[in-house]
Parts: sequence; C-alpha cells; structure tokens
Amino acid sequence: MNDTVLILSLATTIAAGTPMLLAALGEILAERSGVMNLGIEGMMLIAAASGFWITSETESLALGMLTGIVAGTLLAAIHAVLAVSLRVNQIISGLALVIIGTGLSGFLGDAATPKLTGRPPGARFTSLLPEALTDLPVVGPLVFDHDIIVYLSWIFVAATSYFLFRTRPGLAVWAVGDDPATADSAGIPVIAFRYGFTLLGGALAGLAGAYLSIHLIGTWQDSLTSGLGWIAFSLVIFSGWRPWRAMLAAYVFGGLTTLGFTFQILGFGVPTDFLAMLPFVLTIVVLAIISSRPEAARRFGAPAALGKSFARESR
Amino acid sequence: MSTALDAPKARLHLEARERASLTVRIVVPIVSILIASIFTSIAMVIDGHSPIDAFVEIYHSAFGGKNPLVRTLLLSTPLIFTALAAAVAFRMKIWNIGGDGQLMMGAVAASGIAIFLSGAPFWILIPVILIAGSLGGLLWAGVAAVLKVFFKTDEVITTLMLTFIASHYMEYLIFGSFSYWRDPESSTYATGKAIPEVAELPRFWGRLHIGFLIAVGAGLLVWWALKSSRWGYETRVIGDSPTAGRYAGMSVSKNIIIVLCVSGALAGLAGAVEVVGINHALQPTALQTGVGFTGIIAASIARMHPLMLIPVAVFLSGLVSSGTSLQQMGIPIDIVLLLQGLVLLFVAAGEFFLHYRVRYAPRGEVA
Repeated sequence: MNDTVLILSLATTIAAGTPMLLAALGEILAERSGVMNLGIEGMMLIAAASGFWITSETESLALGMLTGIVAGTLLAAIHAVLAVSLRVNQIISGLALVIIGTGLSGFLGDAATPKLTGRPPGARFTSLLPEALTDLPVVGPLVFDHDIIVYLSWIFVAATSYFLFRTRPGLAVWAVGDDPATADSAGIPVIAFRYGFTLLGGALAGLAGAYLSIHLIGTWQDSLTSGLGWIAFSLVIFSGWRPWRAMLAAYVFGGLTTLGFTFQILGFGVPTDFLAMLPFVLTIVVLAIISSRPEAARRFGAPAALGKSFARESR
Repeated sequence: MSTALDAPKARLHLEARERASLTVRIVVPIVSILIASIFTSIAMVIDGHSPIDAFVEIYHSAFGGKNPLVRTLLLSTPLIFTALAAAVAFRMKIWNIGGDGQLMMGAVAASGIAIFLSGAPFWILIPVILIAGSLGGLLWAGVAAVLKVFFKTDEVITTLMLTFIASHYMEYLIFGSFSYWRDPESSTYATGKAIPEVAELPRFWGRLHIGFLIAVGAGLLVWWALKSSRWGYETRVIGDSPTAGRYAGMSVSKNIIIVLCVSGALAGLAGAVEVVGINHALQPTALQTGVGFTGIIAASIARMHPLMLIPVAVFLSGLVSSGTSLQQMGIPIDIVLLLQGLVLLFVAAGEFFLHYRVRYAPRGEVA
C-alpha cells in the first residue's frame, strides 16, 4: 500500500467521523449541564429522515440541513420537558426518544411520496477551499479538502472547549452539572441552563443526522444511522467529557471501519466484527480506569449530578 | 413544600402528593395511553388513513381469535423476561439497560449447549439449556456488576456497551466465521446450526410453547421474592438509601452483584427461550429486535411491578404483532414503534402527576 492510499483513507476517516463528532459535542454540552440524553440515535434518525425528505422536495441542501437541525432540537425538547421539568428518569426518557425517533423516521420514510431514494443532483457539499490549497501534497487532502460542515465541526470543538474551560457561563455549566443546588444558590438559572444545553445537544445531533443522510450516504433507509448515535454516546465517556479528546476519538472510531478494509487489503485476518466492537471495549476500559481512581474520576469522570433531576423545593 | 414560596408571583405551582389515590393511579396511565393514541392517530390522518380502522385492525390482528392471540403471546414471552430483568434491577436503582446483550449471550450459551448435547434425552436437555441460557446472561451482566463494585463504573454505560459487544460477537459467530454455532451447509446466506429436535420446547396451545408459562412463572417467583423474601427487602432498602442499608448491616456490594446477576439471568432466559422455542438455532437478526429496550418500556409502564408488567408486555407485543396487517392496509409498520414510544413518553410524563399536584393560585395569593 502506498502513501496516497493511506492519506486518502485518513481523509475519508475525517468525513466519516464528523457525524459522530458533532453528536458527541452536543451530548458533552448536555451532560455537562447534568442532562444525560440516551436518545442521540433517535434525534439523528429523525433529522436524517426529515432533512433528506425536505432536500428531495425542495432540492435545497440548506433547507434540508436546517430541517434536520430543527427536528433534532424538537425531539430534544421532549427530553428536556420530561427530564428537566417533569423529573422523569432520564434513562427512560432518553430511550423513549430512541423509539420515537426510530418509529417516526421510519414512518416518514415510508409515507413520503415520491419515495426517498436518490439524492437530488447537486445536493451535497463540496470542498470549501480553492484548488491551490486542496492540491497540496499530504496537507491538501487531510486539512484543506473538506466541506463546510467538517470545518464547522472543528470550529465547534474549539468553541465548546473555550466556552467550557475559559468563560464564566461555561464554568456555570459545570456548576449546574456538578452541584445544581449550590449553583442555584449562586443565582445560576439551573433549569434554563439545562433546557438550553439539552436543546443545543439536539441541534448538533440533528446536524449530524442530516449531514449523514443527505451528504455522506445520499439516500434514506430505515435505521440509517446504524448505531452511530450510540458510538457518539460512548465517545463522550471515552473523551472524559472533553471536546478535543472527543474529536481525536471520533476520528479513531471513524477510522476503524476504514482500517478494516485496509487490513483486508494487507492480508491481516482481523475480523471486522472485532474492529466494530473496539469502540465499546475501549470505552469500558477507559471508564474503568478513570472511575476506579478518585483523582482521575474528579478530572475525567462524569459530572457529579449527571442524570439527577433538580427540584428546588426538595433541596 | 411548595414552589410558590420561592416565586410568589407564580400562578401555577406544585405540591408534592403524600400518596396518590387509587383513582389517580388508575386514571393517569389510562389518560396517558389515550393521549399517545391521539398523537399516533394524527400521524395516520396526515398520511391519509383512518385511525379507527387501524385500531380495529390492531385489535383483530393482535387479540381477535386464537391464532392472533398465540402470535401475540409468543412475541410477549421474551419481552416478559426482559421486562422482569429491568424491573428487578431498576427497583434497586441499578440501571441495567443491557438486557439485549444479556439476551444475546443467553442465546449463544443455550444454542451452544443444545448443539453440544444433541444426543441427550428431552428431560435433561431442556433444563440444561435453560440453565445455560440464564448463566450466559448472568455472566454478561456479571461483568458489569464486577466493574461496578470493584472499579466504580456506571452500569448504565457498561451494560449498554456490553450489548453492542455481544451483538457484534453474535454476528461474528454466524456471519463472520465458521464457528461451532454456524450451519456448515449454509454458504451463500449464513445461518445458525439447528439444535436437535428433542430440544425444541413443547407446545400446548396451537404454536404457543411452554416458554410463555415459564415466563409467567418467573414473574410470580420474582413478585414473591421481591415482596416476601429477605433479599427483596434488602434490595428495597438499598434502593431507597444505600446508606440506610449499610447502617442496617447489609452489604451493598453483595446486593449489587446479586441483583445484576438475577437481572442478567432473566434476560438470558429470554434468549434461551427464543432459541429453543422459536428459532431452533442461533439467529442473530431474530435476536437484534431490541426486546431488551422494549422490556424497559414495559417495566416502566407497569411501574416496575413484576405481575403488572405481564399484561403490559402482552399489550405491547400485540401492537408489534399487528404491524404486518397494518402494512397490508398501507400503513407504515413503524407506526407501531411510534405508538410504543409515545405510550412510554406519556406514561412517564404521567408519573409526574402521581407525585405532584398542580395547583392554580390567583396572582398575589400565596398558598
């Protein structure tokens, strides 16, 4: 295998990892505020179906992406009402989202006329930067030859990282996720924060789903995300709730599929099923290492109040 | 106990209920299911179908007559097991959401031993297979239990991850390799090796096999154990407050391990019963339908009650079983999933009204 193939497969990996990265960033924000949303898969699916549907109807890429974002946000809003206001167990509410997202997207896919199959011509993203840059060796395909969503995801990584670690409202999010009662006493609007970041999480999952169906795959089929939402969920834990690590991990996890093909070309007999298992095995291993040590758990573990509802009167 | 004190201007405020009255406890779930049906009907009307025809068809194809009922009860059998698995764990606030993975490992163990013991007589085979299935699920949940007790990992995450690992492992056994479980005759489309015919569960009512009776029996046993045994008492105390349990001399770690193992064993039985009752081989796609997640729905709707979850599981299975008939009417099969999800959603939301009373207070008046 020569270098060009390696570089090209790395570049493909970046595109393949982008939906996971976007969804994981959204989940990091929601979980940092104390809301665990197991429904990523559902939000991505409903966005993938509705976004693709609108793009086929209108032949507009932008409208489809926007629809996906709105759909993901709406589904997240259900979770916010249930988990934050009605204090429903977040696991159950999140699972409800998965089921509703799967059901509604499948329904939409079946009910849509004409059938959601081919992508309208031209309804996909192209490289953003001029050829002078994309044609450069090595850095061309790796850094410059991407579409706007990939660059947006990089900006989001930098922005969420800066926001969470360097700004006052960002630190307030940590407070809300770690100790909502104290945050509340300090005048931070706990409920508003939790709503806001749950919705933002939904918007990012929606963007991820629409990007996947419209751009990356270019068609709709039932359960199109095939577990990507769950991998995004595991990415959050794997990354220790940190955006930059999530980015690295998204590309590593995204690369496992590409790696499978590469191994086959090279003649190594690593079964693809075991490669597919790897993200989940690694997540368990990393979680065990972090959780078992109090010092590491405080730095890289879950927000202390993750999954717990906040009720001012029962403080 | 009222939020109105915090915000004197609030017009609506919440009051915690000491204990919901029986009327409230019956009315709230029924209203929840009605609202879910209304939303589903709206989706059907938008798609140009009559919801009334659809609901009549759901009733007929799921419960109207022997054959539909048998089909529904067959579908409900693994669901009762996984719902029990969820209920046992969730009652102690151990969030085992990996019922699917435990089911799959149960099926792997059960089918493996069934093929291995192909010469054995019926009365040895069936018990051994069921025990193997429950052990498979038990060990898989046991991994999460050991990780939780010794490494303090969150079982929500580990049980979920273990499900995906189990799923890929099962696919490897049948599609990705020429393992012991794969039928060597199948080449173009890989299938599992058939288990010996004597290992198939006996049927007692049409196609309905005794697995359904075992599931109901398991429900009764779990109900009794949670209600009357010392173990059930300890799980209840620890579920309410691990600290209180510790002060009362109970071992929290031991109980975590036991509860997760029992939960996993129940889910594993679901897999074993599917193998010996329906598939008669290890068939990955038949076991990847998300019965574990649906079990969590069933248990939640039944509010974790081991006997109440049986009719709920039958009801949810009826919806699934009517899916193909709906499809023949031109209604997308996914409407069933949507209805299930919405029922869960509104029942979960309804739970809030069992715990809180919403009071209306005119402006300025503090309750």
